[in-house]
Amino acid sequence: MAEVEETLKRIQTHEGVIGTIVVNAEGIPIRTTLDNSTTVQYAGLLHQLTMKARSTVRDIDPQNDLTFLRIRSKKHEIMVAPDKEYMLIVIQNPSE
Amino acid sequence: MLTDPQDHLAHQFPLEGELRPTFSGLSDFLHRVEDMIVKELAKNAKSHAFDGFDVNWEDQNETVSCKHRLQHLVAQEKGLHVTSISWSCTGSVIACAFGRVDDGDWSAEKSCVCTWNLDRRGLNPKRPNTVIDVARPVMSLSFHPTSPSLIAGGLYSGEVVVWDTNRTQDPVLAQTGMSTDAHREPVYQVAWVPGQRRGEMLVLSAGSGGRVLLWTVDGGSLVLSAGYALVRQQVPHNSSLSKGRGSSNVGVTSLALSPWDSDTFLVGSEGGLVLKCSFSAQELAAAPPDGESVALRAPAQFSFSPRGGPVHSLHYSPFHRNLFVSVGTDGLARLHSLLQPDPLLSLRVSDSYLFGVRWSPTRPLVFAAATGQGLVQIFDLGRKSLRPAATMDQLTSGQPAYCMEFNPCQTDLLAVGNADGSVNIWHLSTELTEQGHRETAQLEQLANEVAE
Repeated sequence: MAEVEETLKRIQTHEGVIGTIVVNAEGIPIRTTLDNSTTVQYAGLLHQLTMKARSTVRDIDPQNDLTFLRIRSKKHEIMVAPDKEYMLIVIQNPSE
Repeated sequence: MLTDPQDHLAHQFPLEGELRPTFSGLSDFLHRVEDMIVKELAKNAKSHAFDGFDVNWEDQNETVSCKHRLQHLVAQEKGLHVTSISWSCTGSVIACAFGRVDDGDWSAEKSCVCTWNLDRRGLNPKRPNTVIDVARPVMSLSFHPTSPSLIAGGLYSGEVVVWDTNRTQDPVLAQTGMSTDAHREPVYQVAWVPGQRRGEMLVLSAGSGGRVLLWTVDGGSLVLSAGYALVRQQVPHNSSLSKGRGSSNVGVTSLALSPWDSDTFLVGSEGGLVLKCSFSAQELAAAPPDGESVALRAPAQFSFSPRGGPVHSLHYSPFHRNLFVSVGTDGLARLHSLLQPDPLLSLRVSDSYLFGVRWSPTRPLVFAAATGQGLVQIFDLGRKSLRPAATMDQLTSGQPAYCMEFNPCQTDLLAVGNADGSVNIWHLSTELTEQGHRETAQLEQLANEVAE
């Protein structure tokens, strides 16, 4: 399991990263570097949004599938790497 | 099947040192996505793709404009000033209290509290929707935080009243009357604070008699639930205090409740003191008992460096737990950190008195100050220049602007109450209300500076 922690640490310490969350297939956070309430918010909302993004892509073309989701906002960028069993959410404050 | 995320969190965010539960496939998953994520993070950190890219979701408002000028002719004819204003929790209704701020014996003057519903069709700025007649001048006003029809008010006589604007017959819901528990001097500040029980709200009142009292609504009366007395001998000293004359009571002219810590509050006094106080203070006040039904406690815990005259207004920053701003008769706006006695910053706002100060509810670096010359100056601490970012003339022919409040829902509206009996509702520009990219960080930087 040390490998999991090391991988997450490498991601978390990357330039500008504010938070890293791993979510399971039900949308429940299983690893996080943020506080409880923020984590629960991000996990719930982004799980829903990622599912919606995925169905959008597949509705347009059933042979296609979602590989990555990025949301750019005024304050930062949220990146979601989806997968069958888990989802990785990384929040970054890009350089200005 | 939906499961409650909170339950899972209790098991899955283990404390340090405990074994973490293993998830099959987690390591493989992370292995798969790591490279992709790191590549995107690196690209992002160097990218200029979004430089200067802005999206306008809202209509851009370029200018600051006065949307309404509310007046109650009867009160104006009597020469009454607007002493206090308050927005209802829904943001639709503005209430204003009439009284007088200058010297003179006008304790027998009748006055009123007026409300206007700004969202109603057919708004007539010269005709309030509700007029509550009050036998004495009203010095302070506060709408209940969740019940849009309840208003608490503090009178010149020391009485505290709660009105219910839904009642048609007699709007008075509860009052202190002239009991031995009541203030004997004008009540300059009223506020609603949460009580011990869920959903219970108490009325807090503070006045120039040096008393800060908490009341519960019980039938038609306000019953004293707890009380504090500020006495000069019990004020923590950390700088020389001017030797005042006469009474040892510390008259309260302003009070601010902390949005971060429900136990702390700030008090500004007639003599220029700014004190950090605690509701849970246990020490008994050194004031001689005067028939109060509750033992009064001494709440002051920390003194900030005093000012040269009465402190008219204090406000905690909504964006930083340790910052507050204070204004008084010396014409300066002082930015303080709760952690040290000396101010972080002293801004010369006006050559006249300052009566009100409010932080912007949306921009961490912005605050507004109301001057004795009838201007509201808005300052942006993010700007290099210390000159105001905007000046709003209240059109009072030089008479003071006494009080200001931002609308809690439509945060680009600012109401200003004036000595000429008018209340102006200002619509602020997008520049003054839209939070900038690094504002919270800049505010944090300011807060961490240590004063020389």
